[in-house]
Amino acid sequence: MSMWLPFRLAWRQLRAERARLFSAIAGVMFACVLVFMQLGFRSALFDSATALPQALHGELFLVHPLTTALFRPESFPRVRAYQTLALPDVSVAVPIYMAQGIWRNPVDGSHRAIQLIGFDTEAGAVSFPGLPPLISALKRPDTIAFDWKSRPEFGPVAALLAERGPFKVQIANREVEIVGTVALGASFGADGNAVMSETNFRRLVTERKAGNADLVALRLRPGADAAAVQQQLTALLPRDVRVVTHDELVAWERNYWETATPIGFIFAFGSLMGLVVGMVIVYQILFADIASHLAEYATLKAMGFSGGYLRLVVMGAAGILAGLGFVPGVLASIGLYDVVAKATLLPLRMDPNRGVLVAGLIFAMCAIAGLLAMRKLRDADPADMF
Amino acid sequence: MPHPVALAGVGFSFGDGALRRPVLRDLNLTVAAGEIVLLTGPSGSGKTTLLTLIGALRAMQEGRCQVLGQELHGAPESARVALRRRIGFIFQNHNLLAFLTARQNVAMSLELHPDFGDESKRMAAAGKVLEQVGLADFAEVVPAKLSGGQRQRVAVARALVASPGLILADEPTAALDRQSGHDVVHLMRDLAKKSGMPILLVTHDPRILDVADRIVSMEDGRIVG
Repeated sequence: MSMWLPFRLAWRQLRAERARLFSAIAGVMFACVLVFMQLGFRSALFDSATALPQALHGELFLVHPLTTALFRPESFPRVRAYQTLALPDVSVAVPIYMAQGIWRNPVDGSHRAIQLIGFDTEAGAVSFPGLPPLISALKRPDTIAFDWKSRPEFGPVAALLAERGPFKVQIANREVEIVGTVALGASFGADGNAVMSETNFRRLVTERKAGNADLVALRLRPGADAAAVQQQLTALLPRDVRVVTHDELVAWERNYWETATPIGFIFAFGSLMGLVVGMVIVYQILFADIASHLAEYATLKAMGFSGGYLRLVVMGAAGILAGLGFVPGVLASIGLYDVVAKATLLPLRMDPNRGVLVAGLIFAMCAIAGLLAMRKLRDADPADMF
Repeated sequence: MPHPVALAGVGFSFGDGALRRPVLRDLNLTVAAGEIVLLTGPSGSGKTTLLTLIGALRAMQEGRCQVLGQELHGAPESARVALRRRIGFIFQNHNLLAFLTARQNVAMSLELHPDFGDESKRMAAAGKVLEQVGLADFAEVVPAKLSGGQRQRVAVARALVASPGLILADEPTAALDRQSGHDVVHLMRDLAKKSGMPILLVTHDPRILDVADRIVSMEDGRIVG
């Protein structure tokens, strides 16, 4: 007896009750969309939170050991950057400065905190899309490049730039000129970003010690062994800095958002709720299908169909519902990702791995519902049929 | 050759301890090959329980019960499931699957049969049996669109299609009018006689006693005549 026959019976049974079938599919689709959105937000959060470290070019970085996340770094003596140059394998050391400044919206005058990022723009250790053509303009006093992926509350900067060319805005009570835009992205830690040269950063952020940096990017000579240099630097430098690779820097930032905030848990919990609701709906439908066909199922048992055959019918129905709900669910999620990404400027998009994960979760959800509903089959007792 | 059904000293009780209520006591019965036996008796006389034991739908308690060569006393569930595949059951209600056509319902019986491995064979055999019960024109119709008598004839076709060694029927005419009931049992008799299948039929219905080769009456869990 092939597996196909109980599967076919399951499909014929589901097909016969259109209204029930569609409500079940809607339930699975709902769970599917909910899980996709939750996981999408979660991953967008981590992607956007790590956009800054991702954009930094450098084989090794120096950070303060107490820095928990890059949007609020602990600073350390800038001289550590130059000390690394003692090693022949280190070719460039670029200190990076970060601070929050108050931005005045050029249209309505409202205030909002923006992340200021200053570094030696000519060193090539840090590059954001759009930055290279702006490098010479950024050398002028009081100039910045604005991150056009910042939240819209900062004002329609990109549109204004296109309309009237470079114009002046106020940051931290100082007038600066926007000479162009770069692409970095709003994150949960920073609503927007402004990129500028080291000197212009000093002009804007006056209250901090000039000799302190927040992060140092190191470029190594071609062919240098990053792990060996990392070890040497760790041994040489004082304990006020940690030497990390690019991957470690990204992982450090990601780890902060995953563990030190409840955000990761919230999204996991949201996904779980979606799955529970979907499971209850599928269970109800499968249970109702069994309950309304008890006499027929008992007859099948009397005819010599094994309990295993009937269990396969129930699991087949669960599998069909999972498949029929997942396909529209994934399509709806792709559309919603697009809408939400435009509204929030978070990097939200369908990822094949996530698709596979959610497919697995949806099928598991339906399988559990099937296993629970299956217990009702025990009530189909052929001895009661006569 | 042994009888298709041979019962000796069969006893059965429901409940435990003080609530124990015997429904069959020291019962002996044989059905010969090709024989049509009607089982009658008042409600509660144990007819239906006896039928469920012979049909391997219940585990035996006492006595010996050989059905189609299988001893049922102490038989495991798997042996009982296997035996059921060789028995054709007809119930008081047709219990057809509402979402399948008459032909698909009949073909379901053959899914368990090793000789009917592919769908075209099953559908062809089902069509042939439906023709024999006079429903050739209704093969592609769902049960909801058939009359009560027609549904019961589909159920008869379903019971017969796999050429079982024994037919067990429980009040097959109870839900039918006089003419339909008469037609259904006569159809059962004709088809069974053709292939030598014995039938054990429980009934209250005096209108169908004429199809029997032998009538067995039960009372208080015993055969009285």
